Amino acid sequence: MKKKRNDLKKSRASRLGRGLYLGLIILFLYLPIGTLMVLSFNSGKSMNAWQGFSLRWYQEMFQNQEILDALGNTLSIALWSATLATIIGVLACIGLNTMSEKRRSFFMGLNNIPLLNADIVTGISIMMSFLLFGISLSYGTVLFAHITFCIPYVILSVMPKFRQLQNLTFEAALDLGASPVYAFFRIVLPDIMPGVMSGFLLAFTMSVDDFVITHFTRGAGINTLSTLIYSQVKVGIRPTLYALSTVIFLTVLAVLVASNLLSSAGKRRSGPSGGSGMTPKKMIAMALILALCLGFTAKFTLSRGVSAASGSRGELYVYNFGDYIDPDLVSMFEEETGYTVIMDYFDTNEEMYPVIRNHTAQYDVICASDYMINKMISEDLLDTIDFRYVPNIENLQENVRGFVEEFDPGMQHCVPHTWGTYGILYNTAMVDEAPDSWSDLWDEKWSQQIMMPNSIRECDMIAAKILGYSMNTAQESELKEITDLLIEQKPLVYSYANDNARDLMVGGSAAMAVIASGDVLYAQEENEDLDFVVPAEGTEVWTDCWAIPAGAANKEGAQEWINFMLRGDVARMNFEYLTYAIPNTEILDLTDNPILNPSEEILARCETLKNLGAETDDMYSRYWKIFKSS
Amino acid sequence: MTNSVMKKLFSAPFVAFILCGTLVPMGVIAWYGLTDRSGAFTVENVAAMFGGDHAKALGLSLALSLISTAICLLLAFPLGLLLRDSGLGKKGFMVFLFILPMWMNFLLRTMAWQVLLEKGGILNTILGAFGLPALEMINTPTAVVLGMVYDYLPFMVLPIYNALSKIDSSLIEAAYDLGASKSVVLRRILIPLSVPGIVSGVTMVFVPSLTTFAISNMLGGGKVNLIGNIIEQEFTSSSNWNLGSGLSLVMMIFIVISMALIEKFDRNGEGNLI
Repeated sequence: MKKKRNDLKKSRASRLGRGLYLGLIILFLYLPIGTLMVLSFNSGKSMNAWQGFSLRWYQEMFQNQEILDALGNTLSIALWSATLATIIGVLACIGLNTMSEKRRSFFMGLNNIPLLNADIVTGISIMMSFLLFGISLSYGTVLFAHITFCIPYVILSVMPKFRQLQNLTFEAALDLGASPVYAFFRIVLPDIMPGVMSGFLLAFTMSVDDFVITHFTRGAGINTLSTLIYSQVKVGIRPTLYALSTVIFLTVLAVLVASNLLSSAGKRRSGPSGGSGMTPKKMIAMALILALCLGFTAKFTLSRGVSAASGSRGELYVYNFGDYIDPDLVSMFEEETGYTVIMDYFDTNEEMYPVIRNHTAQYDVICASDYMINKMISEDLLDTIDFRYVPNIENLQENVRGFVEEFDPGMQHCVPHTWGTYGILYNTAMVDEAPDSWSDLWDEKWSQQIMMPNSIRECDMIAAKILGYSMNTAQESELKEITDLLIEQKPLVYSYANDNARDLMVGGSAAMAVIASGDVLYAQEENEDLDFVVPAEGTEVWTDCWAIPAGAANKEGAQEWINFMLRGDVARMNFEYLTYAIPNTEILDLTDNPILNPSEEILARCETLKNLGAETDDMYSRYWKIFKSS
Repeated sequence: MTNSVMKKLFSAPFVAFILCGTLVPMGVIAWYGLTDRSGAFTVENVAAMFGGDHAKALGLSLALSLISTAICLLLAFPLGLLLRDSGLGKKGFMVFLFILPMWMNFLLRTMAWQVLLEKGGILNTILGAFGLPALEMINTPTAVVLGMVYDYLPFMVLPIYNALSKIDSSLIEAAYDLGASKSVVLRRILIPLSVPGIVSGVTMVFVPSLTTFAISNMLGGGKVNLIGNIIEQEFTSSSNWNLGSGLSLVMMIFIVISMALIEKFDRNGEGNLI
């Protein structure tokens, strides 16, 4: 009797334990998602304070062309790759089943490679093959890569169904005069259908979920949701992404719940014996996915068709950093000149460079940074600009012309778009004494409160300035000292961050961060405790310039574009949108302050980055890796 | 006769994709990996993996991915048992609950941890409100492990649950009838019969953890340098394809090992993936 009660107690305790375990894992899985959902309704950008309920981020998300484009690409790539992979996979199963056991297992082994291979290896191997054979990266290359890694999933789902097939019914159908095609659709297909559908759904899911392979094989301007999210997370806090997460989560939930409910309802109606071969759940899920995709793409192409009004003077292909001009200026330029502007985006100079070098896509005008301009000039990749057609060049600030001299002697190949310096952004509420030297970033007082850039040249520049070396040094001994100094600082650093440093500073995650001067106004607007200083040792002056690639089809239009960008009112609009300094004398009333236009005394101690050549680049990246893995 | 030849032709597109999408790219990686910039043969790019900082990054990657795989396994196996025993899994809803996050983009899920763990983030604000010391987890290897476990846990739960739920209950009842204790049932029946599920779960967590660069970038604050980060950088910023390919060749060894493991434990070829 007593034992029984004990047992009861024990089982109650174990049930409690089980419940607790399940509950904790569910909490672990859903707490982050729930947090994003709550924050998506927060009216402010803050990560920790509730600033009122608002649907602002949803509104912004549905108006954000980049997000909509990425969503469209994600769905269409997933739909096409899953469909084609399903067709190819089913055909393959038919073929493989007629082969000898040995040959079949050989092919099945090959089939497993993309499945087990690390995504990064699959991605880079496909990317290199395309470029090696002179195929430029585009939407098509992403699609090809997706089909490649989707086929194995289809085959793995369909093959077992084929092996269960009774060949006799098929033969019987043939004997009764059915054509092989007819017999396939009437006899074989219904039997393998569950496998075909789970293969399709699996392929679709994998395609939507993929980031790494798309990251390497995507062409200029092609983003899927994954790659867009990755590049936006790097930039900083984007509450539109919280809204996007919520929408994705709820959509997935709705599709899965609906297909579950509908299928159980269907089962009840058809009785327990119904639906033996078919799985209505999968069929419904598939139908819902198709409906969603088609609905979205229909709406998407419709809204696109309206916006694409064609210009009368042909097209101008622009290749620019993401979000680097006021988008209103594009339509203004189109209206004034009659060109249709087609703009593609890249994240880094290094991403743009191979596209221009390998002519994988043809552009008329590009935007690039100083050292990259330098490199491209030395490789004859840039055309000279005929300044007779760029009269607005007289608006260019004289001191910036001096810096251009360092990477484009005589300023023949480029025209500055924006410029700025690097300095220390600090939080006056956390720092009692304003920093004035780069070495303040080595002060142990600020341990775990310091943010450094996450890029080779900028980190090296800071250490080089402290040591009194040139930031373009090619001497290994100096570079070694620079690296040692950075390693020494590492324990004090909270994080190495580029674009997102400003948002982390706004949120109070760190007391000091190295950021570009153009981000200061934005940061100060969000948090008035922030201030900026250009350290006494001097710093890097960077210039991003417009340039015309050699062999551009529309040089005339490119020069008009550059001339347009130099106009006073255009520069004003650009500055107000970007808050990056535009070196235009017409807007000095806005930019004449020590943050955007440092004194000549400080500028005298500044340098620009230069192209160092492949060998020195290798040396830099070797030392960077030593520092990174220290 | 002609019929079967025709049928074999059906697999032509598949073979073409294997050739163009897998074999040729593998060849290209091998070619780049075994040559230097001038095109001369060298094993330097491959050997580079075992020298200095690359070896360190590989060691760290191995350590972190083994830890996160172990944690996933330790979390997922009891979960699979619970779902099986309680019959909760039969209703589908519970299993559904545990794999639902898989359908949300993993970058968004990783971003969620950024928001939670950041120094000025939610967890620390809550801790601070209770006067507790702040969590200093973001930008450390611990945060990266957390991200890996969070992102890949469903890939472990699913195959293990699938394998466990296929075990015939009468087998277990028979064992109990013959006087076996719970631990014996676990050791002699449940674990051995779920090995295919465990193996496929382990590879599905281990391989992506070992080669990730996104999670370490997002949660490591640039301070956690994994081999994935190094390889990615060789292609995006340093543009030394030869070195990147050489390092990738070494990574493929791990893939060959997992292929061999799958081959050994999963004879029926179902893969147990979903």
